[in-house]
Amino acid sequence: MASEVLAKPQMRGLLARRLRIHMVGAFLVSLGVAALYKFAVAEPRKRAYADFYKNYSPEKDFEEMKKAGIFRSIK
Amino acid sequence: MAAPAQLGLQNAASPIMEELIAFHDHALMIIFLISSLVLYIISLMLTTKLTHTSTMNAQEIEMIWTILPAMILIMIALPSLRILYMTDEFNKPYLTLKAIGHQWYWSYEYSDYEDLAFDSYIMPTYFLEPGEFRLLEVDNRTTLPMEADIRVLISSQDVLHSWAVPSLGVKTDAIPGRLNQAMVASMRPGLYYGQCSEICGSNHSFMPIVLEFIYFQDFEVWASYLYI
Repeated sequence: MASEVLAKPQMRGLLARRLRIHMVGAFLVSLGVAALYKFAVAEPRKRAYADFYKNYSPEKDFEEMKKAGIFRSIK
Repeated sequence: MAAPAQLGLQNAASPIMEELIAFHDHALMIIFLISSLVLYIISLMLTTKLTHTSTMNAQEIEMIWTILPAMILIMIALPSLRILYMTDEFNKPYLTLKAIGHQWYWSYEYSDYEDLAFDSYIMPTYFLEPGEFRLLEVDNRTTLPMEADIRVLISSQDVLHSWAVPSLGVKTDAIPGRLNQAMVASMRPGLYYGQCSEICGSNHSFMPIVLEFIYFQDFEVWASYLYI
C-alpha cells in the first residue's frame, strides 16, 4: 500500500562491533582502576612515610615513651 | 601491632618493611587491573544475546593474551627480586640474638654477652596491667638496640615454629636441627609485637613475641643488669 521503503537495518557484524567498542572500554576501565589505586592509595602512602620521617626525632619519641612508662628495660 | 579490624599491613618500622609495603601496593594495583578487566568481560558476556557460531582461529588475540601477561609478570618479578636480594644483604651485624622456639614459648640468648638468656612466656590475661594487649604481652620482653643491624638466629627445640614480627618485615621458620638467619633493624624506638606463625600444637596462638627497641646506651645498662 505505502510506497516508501524502510532502510535496511544493520544485520551483520553486531557482535564484532559490540566487542570492538567494549574491549577498548574494558582496557580503559581497568587502567583507570589501576591509576585510581596508584594515585589514591599507593602514592599518598609513600608521601605519608616521607612526611613522617622528614621531621621525625627519635630522641623526642624515645623520651616521650620513656615518660609514659612503656619501657620495662629502663628504670 | 594491628589495630582492631585492621585489614592492611602494619606500619613499617624498618626500611625493608617500607619496601615490602610499596611492593604490596604495586602488586595489588596489578591485581585490581586484571580483576576489573575480567569482571568487565564477564559482565559483557552475560548481557548479550549476540553469538558467533563459527569462531575459527584468532591469531592476533592469542598473541595479545600471551605477551601482555608475560609483560605483567616481568613487571611484578623485577621489584620482587630486588627486595629479595635486599633482604639477603648481611652488613656486619652489631649484635646476634638467638631465638629458639619451644612448646609454647620463645627463649632468647644473647651470646655476645656472657650468660644473657631468658625465656619469654605469654602474659596471662588476668595478669595484664591496664593498657596492655591481650594475647600479645609477654613476661620478659626482648630488648634490642635501635638503629642497628641485628642478626637473629632462629631455631626450635621441638616442633616447627615461626618467629614473626610484621612491622619489621620478619617471618622466619624455626626448624628443629636447623639455624635460620634473619636481619632485624628498627629505625624507631618502641615496642613491636609478633606471634608464632607456624602451627605447633594447642598453644600455638599463645606464644607471642615482643621486641623493645631502646638506645644503645640504655641497652648496655639493661644487659649488664640481666644475666643468669
